[in-house]
Amino acid sequence: MTDEGARMIAMALAVGLGAIGPGAGIGIIFNGALQAMGRNPEAEGTLRTYMFLGFALAESLFIFGLVVGLLIGFNII
Amino acid sequence: MRQRILIVMGILLVVGIALYLVGVRSTKLHISVVAEPLVCIGGERANLERCASGFPFTNGLLTTVIVDVLLVLTAFFTVRRMQLIPRGIQNTIEAIIEGFYNFAKGVDAKNIAKFFPFTATAFFFMLYANLFGLVPGVGSIGMCVNAGKAHSEAIARGPVADVAPAAAESTEPDFFASWPASCPKDTTLVPYFRSPSADLNNTLAFALIAVFLVQVFGFQALGLGYLTKFLNFKEGGMGFFLGVLELISEVVRIISFAFRLFGNIFAGEVILVVMAFLFPYLLPAPFYGFEIFVAVMQAIVFAVLSLVFMSLATQAHGGHDDKAHAAAH
Repeated sequence: MTDEGARMIAMALAVGLGAIGPGAGIGIIFNGALQAMGRNPEAEGTLRTYMFLGFALAESLFIFGLVVGLLIGFNII
Repeated sequence: MRQRILIVMGILLVVGIALYLVGVRSTKLHISVVAEPLVCIGGERANLERCASGFPFTNGLLTTVIVDVLLVLTAFFTVRRMQLIPRGIQNTIEAIIEGFYNFAKGVDAKNIAKFFPFTATAFFFMLYANLFGLVPGVGSIGMCVNAGKAHSEAIARGPVADVAPAAAESTEPDFFASWPASCPKDTTLVPYFRSPSADLNNTLAFALIAVFLVQVFGFQALGLGYLTKFLNFKEGGMGFFLGVLELISEVVRIISFAFRLFGNIFAGEVILVVMAFLFPYLLPAPFYGFEIFVAVMQAIVFAVLSLVFMSLATQAHGGHDDKAHAAAH
């Protein structure tokens, strides 16, 4: 395997595996928020804020994976 | 109305496919993770991304200054003619600040006067910085720098070189290469502007300030007792272990603050570039809308997270119970 081939596989693995956890996490966050909104529609405003906060926190994990993937792919580390 | 939008989209799609098939597209794909120096003050450039000597005045720094000026101008025009019943720009800014103030009051009503200035400033700076990166022309207008020297250096350096023969050497000819404003061969574009949030120096600086302020507020509220959060000898081995974990999480916060913002904005820019590279004219449009959402969201997230961390630091060990108790009364 060439050096570049190994880099490509590493980049794909970093991004792909890094997307699994946050994907499940974001699903759980929206599941909980939507259920809460359905049960208590008055609380929608507050819930939406915290929902997006949780969403951004979970998503940032994927972004870490993406940044590492890009760093590998563009030959920086 | 909806039909008209669909017709416009359809025309764009047809035109995009036609231009794509004719070959009117760029085959250059240049992405830089670091902010490139525009000029090296009192020195000279080593390669595309570094200065051999002197102070590197990077495009990220230039854009940070511009964002600062924009913020000052916004503040100036907002308060120039204050009215009791606000209109126009005063109304907009007041609505944003009031909304954020009410949210912050919900998080921690007691210490809001201490926390609000930094978090609101960070919010506005991040908002402007993130949105500035999406202005057309940022990242695409710049000067041409000769990259030939840098690449020969990279080849001389060793085995990594065989993977870095630059995107410029693609087999397909670049349609825009012959256009008057494009960079000649052997040179690479160094953009004049770069979103400050896509520059790790800037986000790291904000992360350090935020985490430092969290410690300051913790000491202010609890005195030396704040240290017992990290060095806990009262509750046995488990308590001590948890204290060490707290200490580690403080350090990790710096990294996560810095990389969350940098990663989101930089990854967004890369996605836009790659989409424009894969299928120009139409594919970037939905991602552009998503990036605007991300830009606003990340500004809110940075401000709210620092607010929550500050609020947590001012609560004593086991302070949650007291608070719940007080709320019950």
